[in-house]
Amino acid sequence: MSLHPTVITLPVAIPLLLGAVGMFLQFMQFPRRLQIQQTLVGVGVLVNLAVTVFLLVFVLNGEPVAYQMGLWTPPFGITVYLDALSAIMLVMVALLSVLIFPFALATIDSERAQLGFFPMMLFLLMGANGAFLTGDLFNLYVFYEVMLMASFVLLTVGGTPSQLNGGIRYVVLNLVGSMMLLLAAGVTYGTLGTLNMAHIAVRMNDAPYLVQAMIAGLLLIAFGAKAAVFPVFFWLPSSYHTPHPAVTALFSGVLTKVGMYSMYRVFPLFFPWLLNQWQPLLMTIAGLTMVVGVLGAFAQPTIRRLLSFHIISQIGYMVMGLAVAMTPNPYGIGFGLALAILFLVHNQIVKTALLLGGGAVELEMGTGKLNELGGLVRLKPLQATVFFIAAFSLAGFPPTSGFIGKLGLLEVTFSAGQWAIAGVSVFVSLLTTMSMIRLWQYIFWGKPHRQPLTQRRQTAPNYAWMTVAPVIALVALSLTLGLVAQPALDMVQTAANQAIDRAAYVKAVGPTLTEQDLRIAPPEWGLTAASQATELAGR
Amino acid sequence: MTAFMLALLVGVLFACGAYLVLQRGQIKLILGLGLFTHAVNLALFGTSALTRGAPPIVPEEMGGAPQGADVLFASYADPLPQALILTAIVISFGVTAFIVALVYRRDALTGSDLAPGELATVVNTSDPFAEFTLRMKLPDAADDYDILQYELDEVYDHPEAEREVARE
Repeated sequence: MSLHPTVITLPVAIPLLLGAVGMFLQFMQFPRRLQIQQTLVGVGVLVNLAVTVFLLVFVLNGEPVAYQMGLWTPPFGITVYLDALSAIMLVMVALLSVLIFPFALATIDSERAQLGFFPMMLFLLMGANGAFLTGDLFNLYVFYEVMLMASFVLLTVGGTPSQLNGGIRYVVLNLVGSMMLLLAAGVTYGTLGTLNMAHIAVRMNDAPYLVQAMIAGLLLIAFGAKAAVFPVFFWLPSSYHTPHPAVTALFSGVLTKVGMYSMYRVFPLFFPWLLNQWQPLLMTIAGLTMVVGVLGAFAQPTIRRLLSFHIISQIGYMVMGLAVAMTPNPYGIGFGLALAILFLVHNQIVKTALLLGGGAVELEMGTGKLNELGGLVRLKPLQATVFFIAAFSLAGFPPTSGFIGKLGLLEVTFSAGQWAIAGVSVFVSLLTTMSMIRLWQYIFWGKPHRQPLTQRRQTAPNYAWMTVAPVIALVALSLTLGLVAQPALDMVQTAANQAIDRAAYVKAVGPTLTEQDLRIAPPEWGLTAASQATELAGR
Repeated sequence: MTAFMLALLVGVLFACGAYLVLQRGQIKLILGLGLFTHAVNLALFGTSALTRGAPPIVPEEMGGAPQGADVLFASYADPLPQALILTAIVISFGVTAFIVALVYRRDALTGSDLAPGELATVVNTSDPFAEFTLRMKLPDAADDYDILQYELDEVYDHPEAEREVARE
């Protein structure tokens, strides 16, 4: 099966075109424009899902695909690169947007819809897809900004005071993070003379340690700020509880995960050896992110504040996976990264399920304060059940995807000899379980403190199925990943092998870039050629 | 020397930007972010070889053939960083405009450009007339939205839903 390489730009082109048309409809004056706009966005997310699934299937069966925009020779033009890692992320984000769309359709008020909520969803999708696909550091910055601009609008549309307060903090801290990414791109161009990621990977081999450390440090701060890791996470809990619940769910599945994806993409490609040299630093960041996130969650009085602290806590596990990504272990060199990717996917599913479930409760009860909720298990047994499964999946209980992800990460950290971080992660899992029990108990257990809005007012909308169905689908997906883990493991293993295979990346982007042998691992590991490592990883 | 001066300037701009961002009051915040973006843009500018009087055109005698960076940069200004700066300026302009709009909206809604929580800190000082003085300073727009109450028990979830329930 062959594929014209321009096809891989479709996940950027489709949301851009449909979003632009939708935005124009915004300002037209004819009847039913909002319905047309919403249909357009619905078609957009569905087509995007279809295209990305097709790309994933294609990439899993073959080689990574690279395309040069305008057919410029590699280091000069903008490279678009698709491998299994980016394809998995594309599919996940597309899937989440498809599932969040009906929720948003049912629950968004007409005021927000008229301000262009739905086209902005497509623009957010376009920015995220572009960040997954690009093979150029500056282009990555631009797509980050596209995504952030859309997210600024989604966060503040509606304009309640709390939204504006959260919005200002979010915008400012993210702008500072973006500045760091831009600075990293500038330093890279100034020192290595190139912005093409494959070319950077080639030239990084011979760069002095100071240059490597500077670029790596700036990228760590920039992507860390986007992914909300320990010292730079403050924008997340101060803004995620303010917008409409559908927006929070979309953000939790897309924004922080794009930051994590960028780390998974950039670190093994540019400086795999630094992942080992800097392992203590990464482990410290991971441990502190986990502990601070989960302890912060205990102090929170509302559903979404609590869940947004859990987003941070779970990011710690993904950083832990990155820290052991290049550690030699009995399962092969890419196994740590593979499990980190699996955990990322699991977390996207479960976190979105929890935020949609919690958001539906919040919308129907008119409040998210834990001490004013309670007793909902009798009113909404189905919601209570799926929320329960999602909560325990987040905590990492057996038949769910959380168990597979956490077990694998623990296995890798133990076999890499990292006892301290493994202990911390187990302890944090325990605290997560406690926190999840507390959350579920407050919402669904006990005596009902207040009536749902539907029973208090005749005019209140009854959302019912449109809000429950996405959560059921996500929970089913989490259970499937947990019960039939092997195909998923194979998939992420392929993704991790492709992500750490620097030689293959450079070969796909531009064979003319280098004559050098690209070391996948430092020579002292005895794995000089990429093929050997890949072979080892596949074992 | 030029490069050193540029680096110094970038550092000073970063420091001033950080200082302003950490101040109370949103106008200072916006100015600080402006300085941040200037600093980064200047740093990007410094990544090209700082040559004088050299157009970004490859000289004809070189025939467009790459002959090593040193030979090329002696008579050639790298145009790429300027393209990057242009993009970065456009983006930061958009974001800054957005922040200005946000701050304006919040000012119109709450009658203050102080960040939430700051008002409560001001009130909790030992000055017994702090709240009174503060209320005197607030513009008239604050009357229809009780900013102090809003600050002291920060509205956690949908204020509009809360208000609707209260109206019943």
